[in-house]
Amino acid sequence: MRPDGPLKLTTGNTAIVVDSTADFPQAPQRFPNWRVVLLYVRFGAESFRDYVELSPAEFYARLRTSDELPTTSQPTPGDFLATYEELSVYDRVYSLHISGDLSGTYASATTAAEEVGADKVRTVDTGTASAAIAMLGLAIQRRLERGTTDEEIDRLLEHYERDAHLIFTVDTLEFLRRGGRIGRAKAWAGNLLHVKPILTIKREVIPLKRVRGNQKAMQAFIEEFTATSRDARSLRVGIAHAEAPDRAGQLEKMARGERPQAQIELVTDLGAVVGTHAGPGTVGFFWFDDGE
Amino acid sequence: MSDLDRVREIALAALASLEASRRRIDDLNVYPVPDGDTGTNLTLTGRAIVEELDRSSAEDRETIARELTRAALMGARGNSGVIFSQIVRGSAEVLGGEDAIDEDTLARAFRSASDAAYRGVRQPVEGTMLSAIRALAEEAERRPADFWPALVRTGDEAVLLTQQQLDVLREAGVVDAGAAGLVEIVRGIAAAMTGEEIVASPAATEPLTIEAIHQELSRYRYCTTFVIEGERLDADALEAQFEQLGDSLLVVGDETALKVHVHTDDPGAALSLGTTAGVIERVEIANMHEQTQAREERLLEPVPDVQTAIVAVVAGEGNRRLFESLGATRIVEGGQTMNPSTADLVAAIEAAPGQEVLVLPNNSNVVLAAEQAARLAGTRVEVVPTDSLQSGLAAMVAFDPDRSADQNAVEMREILETVATGEVTIASRDAQLNGIPVREGEFLGLVADEAVAGGTDFDKVATAVAERLLAEPRGVMTLLTGEQEPELDALLAGLHERHPELEVDVQQGGQPHYPLLLSAE
Repeated sequence: MRPDGPLKLTTGNTAIVVDSTADFPQAPQRFPNWRVVLLYVRFGAESFRDYVELSPAEFYARLRTSDELPTTSQPTPGDFLATYEELSVYDRVYSLHISGDLSGTYASATTAAEEVGADKVRTVDTGTASAAIAMLGLAIQRRLERGTTDEEIDRLLEHYERDAHLIFTVDTLEFLRRGGRIGRAKAWAGNLLHVKPILTIKREVIPLKRVRGNQKAMQAFIEEFTATSRDARSLRVGIAHAEAPDRAGQLEKMARGERPQAQIELVTDLGAVVGTHAGPGTVGFFWFDDGE
Repeated sequence: MSDLDRVREIALAALASLEASRRRIDDLNVYPVPDGDTGTNLTLTGRAIVEELDRSSAEDRETIARELTRAALMGARGNSGVIFSQIVRGSAEVLGGEDAIDEDTLARAFRSASDAAYRGVRQPVEGTMLSAIRALAEEAERRPADFWPALVRTGDEAVLLTQQQLDVLREAGVVDAGAAGLVEIVRGIAAAMTGEEIVASPAATEPLTIEAIHQELSRYRYCTTFVIEGERLDADALEAQFEQLGDSLLVVGDETALKVHVHTDDPGAALSLGTTAGVIERVEIANMHEQTQAREERLLEPVPDVQTAIVAVVAGEGNRRLFESLGATRIVEGGQTMNPSTADLVAAIEAAPGQEVLVLPNNSNVVLAAEQAARLAGTRVEVVPTDSLQSGLAAMVAFDPDRSADQNAVEMREILETVATGEVTIASRDAQLNGIPVREGEFLGLVADEAVAGGTDFDKVATAVAERLLAEPRGVMTLLTGEQEPELDALLAGLHERHPELEVDVQQGGQPHYPLLLSAE
């Protein structure tokens, strides 16, 4: 233990950086200590910054009409460096990123963090994606609001990795396959029958089960949700969808019915970058009992 | 160096030794429940102790001992963690009260640890952590010249012996995970005491056998642990009550704080019981079935071929492709009019690549042959008696080649309960069926082998079958068109109008004799 004790972290001295795959674009408006570093989406020669230059609605519209399929690329270390430097008044930065098995974003962030000093900027490979990253950030934010330490955040990261749940379904595995993110669901690609794959992400995409139809998919979500959670104020829920507001709404209703005390803290669109790899019709469901 | 710093150093060495073997110990874990988390639980318990020591500012040995005991109790995870917390308690009781720590004191500390561990368990079983701690106590009492190296050797021997002591370990070809973990802790402590490097465990490089991973699950699903804090807590009385809820029960601690560990199907009831006695905290509920599955996946990864292969009896080129795209490995041609022989099925089963085979006959006339073939074939074979192509296809959706045939069969049967099937066929003679007159060559609509409509108008007959299937609320309708593809526009338009929410999946099946096969689920 250092003689002056561990650094007390608050929202005043600690910043949170996420990348745009957290699908939480409004974060900096909600919290002055948050920043979002943007990934890029390309249609042919045209490159767009996620959310800022291409909203989810514009992206899905373009996807329907474009002859070319989009591709994505990670932020440069320079993008991260600019953000970290902008945050120079903060003593500590937690930089939370999409699984390093799915994107090079974490690698870019870590390269930049080394420039600034890894002691100040702590980059985290969350091993997950989308709203799960945002929800981890929100859990850290709650602790910052009451005052916390690096040690406590380390424990939270472990707890989150172990106990946070993510389940999602896609209309077709084609987007995951084409983008090279299909992971262990590979064996399920090329289905002729229209089945809904139920998937999760544990560093990479992992298949859980197959069902017929959206109804059964939503049921499978809720079954998993109720089997692994209990009703409590500390239970946080997130929903992310790609042009499937009806199903997201239905899921929200079902979640409220099963766990009335839970707090639904995020209902969001899947942005262009995540949407490139998951495709329209994707619905993701996230939950985590924060304990506070 | 202060006492506290010395204890920190020893605890860190023990934890490092444990962490290095964590995964190996997880994989050894078959007893009492093969949930593959003993190494992790012990490591987390160790980490809780180290963290608490970091926060401590205790100056005297007695306070350190008290804090250590409490940290172990509060941080204890799983069966092994809870027993370990008793080992810590027992040894701390001796070490906290002594001024000088010599081998004599250490011997008494080991004995006290062993006694505390045995007391903490309701029904002590040999071939576990308990045997290992007792062997260590006995060796310490013998006072060997090379004290710590001798203890480590004794520990390693005790671990090997567990395989002979407990049947479930012998069958699985593994040693006890908890005992192995304990010896890793002792190995770390020995290194810190003698100032030498931690020497890797001799068992660290031996691969596990496949038998080790096919162990029975606990009857219960949830591993539930929590701490009850209160006043004058009565461990014995509570133990009797918790015993009603499940097994693997441990209730340990003192009058002010008790750690409870129980495997149960009703963690809620266990928690309620806890709140009647005091304030509960540190609640952890783990789904052991999930943990077991994760462990099996990890261990089965290097096994090249699949656990379960599918043999399906299918008619029609399109249907064959549908079955194959869902993972069926062997297709036997056949159906209503061309039933495959038992010999055909045996040949397909024997050629299938899995360790086990699951057969889908997809026709009521083929079920018996499939069951006969299952008995004749050498491999482990399971038959799910699907009576139509449509139900076979619905069952295939649940197929997972990495699961056992038995597990697949359970999932498939569950799905079949929710599937309704029907057909449009062509009448082979004039007849009056179920009050419905049909003439040879006309369309005949069947649901569950009963006639529901007949006539020359395909749309009318097909619609009648579809509507009958949709009498109950359904989410998806699958339509498989036959060799002579019927025109479906009118049927589809009507379905869309009357059931706007229904998802309809049309596929070219190519089966003979049935212009349309339908299913709803």
